[in-house]
Amino acid sequence: MIEVKKLVKRFGDFQALHEVSFKAREGEILGFLGPNGAGKTTTMRILTGYMPPTGGTATIAGHDVFNDSMAVRKQIGYLPETVPLYPDMTVQGYLEFAAELRGVPKRKQRIREVLELVGMAERSRSLIRTISKGMRQRVGLAQALIHNPTVLILDEPTIGLDPHQVSDLREFIRSLGGQHTIMFSTHILTEAEQVCDRVVIINKGQIVAEGAPNELRDALQINSRVYVRVQGHYDIAKLAKSLEGLAGVSSVEAHGDALVVTSKAKHEVRPAIANTIAQQGLALLELRPLTVTLEEIFLEYTT
Amino acid sequence: MSFWTIFKREFRQYFVSPIAYLVAFAVLVLLGLSFNTDLNYRITNSLPPNGAVVLGNFGFLMVFFAPLLTMRLFAEEMREGTLELMMTMPLRDVDLVMGKFLGAWGFYTVLLSLTLVYQGILLFLTNLDPNPAPLQTYFDIGPVIAGYMGLWLYGGATIAIGMLFSALSDNQIVAGFLSMSVLLVLWAGDVAGLVPASVISTDVVLALRVISLQAHYSTSFLEGLIALQDVYFYIAIMMVSLFITTRLVESRRWR
Repeated sequence: MIEVKKLVKRFGDFQALHEVSFKAREGEILGFLGPNGAGKTTTMRILTGYMPPTGGTATIAGHDVFNDSMAVRKQIGYLPETVPLYPDMTVQGYLEFAAELRGVPKRKQRIREVLELVGMAERSRSLIRTISKGMRQRVGLAQALIHNPTVLILDEPTIGLDPHQVSDLREFIRSLGGQHTIMFSTHILTEAEQVCDRVVIINKGQIVAEGAPNELRDALQINSRVYVRVQGHYDIAKLAKSLEGLAGVSSVEAHGDALVVTSKAKHEVRPAIANTIAQQGLALLELRPLTVTLEEIFLEYTT
Repeated sequence: MSFWTIFKREFRQYFVSPIAYLVAFAVLVLLGLSFNTDLNYRITNSLPPNGAVVLGNFGFLMVFFAPLLTMRLFAEEMREGTLELMMTMPLRDVDLVMGKFLGAWGFYTVLLSLTLVYQGILLFLTNLDPNPAPLQTYFDIGPVIAGYMGLWLYGGATIAIGMLFSALSDNQIVAGFLSMSVLLVLWAGDVAGLVPASVISTDVVLALRVISLQAHYSTSFLEGLIALQDVYFYIAIMMVSLFITTRLVESRRWR
């Protein structure tokens, strides 16, 4: 649905994108993850036809974003990072304006549907300047959805919202997957993990990793770690020493009264740990694997 | 028909914007004062009434008020980030520019029609019969009709120039100030005729007068003369300004 090939963008001397390539399949929610200034907004602006690329190509639903910009613009719904609202218009008026520009048939009905969808039906008469940040975000989203686009491009849609609104919005975006192809940028890792089917990590204008959140974890081959806790008082250093001697264990660290055992990738050390503890006459309280978070993957790739 | 959607939004926008009402208020107060002074002068000196006087003054006021009405057209959209939405909508840049221009010119037309109140007063006081009865005075309506036509075209030109500067800067004040300066210079080009030929050659004076905004209505439309060259002049100013504005908007994609 979205296909980006070797996209390059230069602003004067500064190169914002270095041959960026990725794909999003139909109905997929693609997370575009990267620190601030990584090139997320630039990529999205090229995809939406706001600015041309310096090199490379990008197509949306088979239309080139530069040569066939009008066809692309008809297919996409776009929510830029700064929500583009006219403060002096009412919510209803703003959506009517957007719907008219989009040539939406049966406008009144569609506006009602979209307002229901984003939960703004009661505030349709309010002036945009009087509504809260979270509501503005939802009005912006309603604008992007008004023509039921095949592709939805959302630039950091959860920024500046309170935690409650953030989780609502994530759930909402999740619910839109399947019907729309969604490309969604964020610099928050848990968000990408919760919402997206696939994640593309970008840093300094380059794609550094791509895949489903769990695939990325496997690809990284970070050693697996096990958290161990034993009941009562015991000689922590002695236990650590004996665990270090086990086959496959690369290191043991003490974390308060618990131990974190790091083992080589895909080496199952838990039975051996349990045995050792039992042999020393200690009562095992907790033994659980620590999963690698996307956070660690992200830091690994972007530093 | 996208430009129609833009036109409707821009035109309505003026009626919710305080600036538009302040401009309308200022125009009516200032013109009311000058109308009153002029009428008083004409009555005491037994001169015939002249409906084109308020129009001449209105033209001068537009040097300052056209920038106030147009400075937000693009500057505000750039600052608020809504231009990004407009430029990613299935909408041609030229439709955006045309819609905005016609919206502003539409509001200008409303503003201009407010001055009809002074013509109404003159009509009430005078007589349209060229041979009026004793103690009545003849009101020559010809220059008034031509004057409105000229001022309408002149206003379109000032609005188009104002919009051009709005597309140049994302700061409304800068845009307004620049267009005010340019309009003032273009308006005052007419005054060059007062400089003696020994100082500036007649050719230069004539050239200055050709590009002067005022010269194309003060000695033609306001005298009741509709000259095609003046009509073309204002239309050309509008078209060139709209063309440059469209290019300026387009060029934002390349920065």
